[in-house]
Amino acid sequence: MSIDTRDVSTGTTPTAPSGGGGASPSPTPASTRPRGPLSSLTVRGLGAAVPQALAPAVLAVLLIVFAVLSPSFLTSGNLLGVLNQNALLLLAAVAMTVVVRAGGIDLSIGVAIDLAALTASALLADDYVAWVAIVGGLLVGLLVGAVNAFLIVVLRIRPFLATLSVWFIGGGVQQVATDGGSPIYLSRSSVPDEFAWLGAGSVLGVAVPILIAVLVLLIVWAALERSRWGRVLTAAGEQPTATRIAGRMAGTSMATAFVFAAGIAAIAGIILAARSNGFVANSGQLYVLDSIGAVFIGTTLSRTGRPNLFGTLVGVLIFALLTNGMNLIGLSFYWQGLARGVVLILILLLGVLLARDRARKPLT
Amino acid sequence: MTALSAPPATPGQAPSVAVESTTKRRPVSRLGLIGYAIVVIEVVVFAVASPGFLDPANLATILTQSAVYAIAAFGLSIVVVTGGEDVVRGGIDLSIGAVLGFSGALVAVLLQAQLGLPLALLIGLGATALIGLVNGLVVVAGIRPLLVTLAMMSIVTSLTIVITNNVKVPVADAGLVWLRSGAVVGIPAAVVVLLLVFAVVAFTTGRTSWGVRNAAVGQNPTAARVAGVNVNRHIIGSYVLAAVLAGIAGVLMTSRLSAALPGIGEQSLIDILLATFLSIAFSRRLVVTITGTLFSAVFVAILTNGFSQLGVPSQWIGITKGVLILLVLAVAAIRERSVRR
Repeated sequence: MSIDTRDVSTGTTPTAPSGGGGASPSPTPASTRPRGPLSSLTVRGLGAAVPQALAPAVLAVLLIVFAVLSPSFLTSGNLLGVLNQNALLLLAAVAMTVVVRAGGIDLSIGVAIDLAALTASALLADDYVAWVAIVGGLLVGLLVGAVNAFLIVVLRIRPFLATLSVWFIGGGVQQVATDGGSPIYLSRSSVPDEFAWLGAGSVLGVAVPILIAVLVLLIVWAALERSRWGRVLTAAGEQPTATRIAGRMAGTSMATAFVFAAGIAAIAGIILAARSNGFVANSGQLYVLDSIGAVFIGTTLSRTGRPNLFGTLVGVLIFALLTNGMNLIGLSFYWQGLARGVVLILILLLGVLLARDRARKPLT
Repeated sequence: MTALSAPPATPGQAPSVAVESTTKRRPVSRLGLIGYAIVVIEVVVFAVASPGFLDPANLATILTQSAVYAIAAFGLSIVVVTGGEDVVRGGIDLSIGAVLGFSGALVAVLLQAQLGLPLALLIGLGATALIGLVNGLVVVAGIRPLLVTLAMMSIVTSLTIVITNNVKVPVADAGLVWLRSGAVVGIPAAVVVLLLVFAVVAFTTGRTSWGVRNAAVGQNPTAARVAGVNVNRHIIGSYVLAAVLAGIAGVLMTSRLSAALPGIGEQSLIDILLATFLSIAFSRRLVVTITGTLFSAVFVAILTNGFSQLGVPSQWIGITKGVLILLVLAVAAIRERSVRR
């Protein structure tokens, strides 16, 4: 902003003298021009504050409405349960945030989750110890990310199409590896205690999946907001050409984003395997669209219009509280999708209408 | 990535680019043949490998199978062309699969209520147009199409469950039976519908000022607005059209299965996305086109059909499909680089 205004003012000062002694032309630009940027500045400041407050406000409204409708909603047991149920969605959404921040999109996030869960379960079924299963799952997840990075950065296929194809291939790989999609069930005795702890354990009353998700969230936040890697990633996501001209490796940061995201998804997959004591084909796909939704809710409700982890967290919580609240008040499963979609559209419309003054449109 | 692949967008140039592509540029058209060449290779390979493949009945089956996805994908293509190809910011309609399922279910339910085919179709397609209108209005209000249509997908899926009570709705209407098994001068009825819809959509998008303006809006909305195009009207129109086309596809789907199955819409979304975005491999400038969409829908249908003719186990079909599609895209992407040089 400040650069803009200065450009305008330095632009006007030379032209005013060059216009000669004409008193009438110089006041008009002088009086109109400063007012333009200034007024837009204050309006933008106001408009920016409103959507920023909107995200917490929406969460508060959801909490209050459901607390009034259902007495068991606002209890610590229920709220921790909601977080525990949605820890995997949070992990998937954090992974998606990294990719979207880098200017891509990853439809294969469910594949990374599924293949990591499949590998970990299969290794445990073959009586390997827990850490081998965990490392194996992580490596397979990272491999999915590496394939994406190769397709997108080396072959230069668009992220949407490349990851869509990986979705197909990953689905097929699961079918082949499980002989047509039969689930792997691990008996309780064959699951090492430390592996089961990942899914069902708790520390000081807080479930382990929540702790892992929060820990990952903090690490990713530090990486995105406080490291050089995160800055280059953000720049490359918004202005790939400018970043390349500035001497930063836009391709490399895109590649690392996909590998990083797949690694986070693999963590989610391992927790999924630990929680469900096995593997059911295509269970990770459930998280793909919801995580995309959460990321872009966060983007829409944020001040900068940029994918960010706080917004993503809000998006996940909106989804989580809506689902839990609708279950508690006994809304039929038939109508839940309708209610969810309508609430989502209304929240977003509210956010956009309140921010109208910013004149920010997704078109351009 | 996406910003790079878009053509240089200087104001005022966008409409001229669109016009130019439909009239001139013939000399470089050889480069656009790669997608078609792959389809021909595909047909030859399957014809050699499987004797029953070139059987006219089998070819008719392939076209019938591709009809549903192709028609729905035409709609998505219009949305993508009008909204811009950047999936994250531009035009996309994720609700298209759900709308397909909804219209098929609604028509089936109305037929069960003894409403008669014409009225059922009118109400069914009218409802889809309404869904498209809501999509378009909310998008124009300033929310990303990706989010709007994701929410709409949730709403429409829920509506489908509500009206069908989450059970299969059988259909025995004579009109829909004809659509499934009837023929016009030897051509299956579903294929006739496909060709008719293709002709209308290809003509309106390629040969009318409305279509050219759509492309202009997609390539550079600011320039289009400056040039006097009502950008919002074109965007809303594209979502309405997409929903109606998905509605037609849904009726075809119901007739093919002789029933409306809840959940069929969401399953078809990924195939529709694929048919639309694979179409870039069939265009000289690597953009989404209607003809390309038709051919990529046929391409995918041939793959599925050919593999099952060859007796390839179904779990391998997904993998092979994905790899082959990546191959097409890689060839297209490499070609794009050589073209730009």
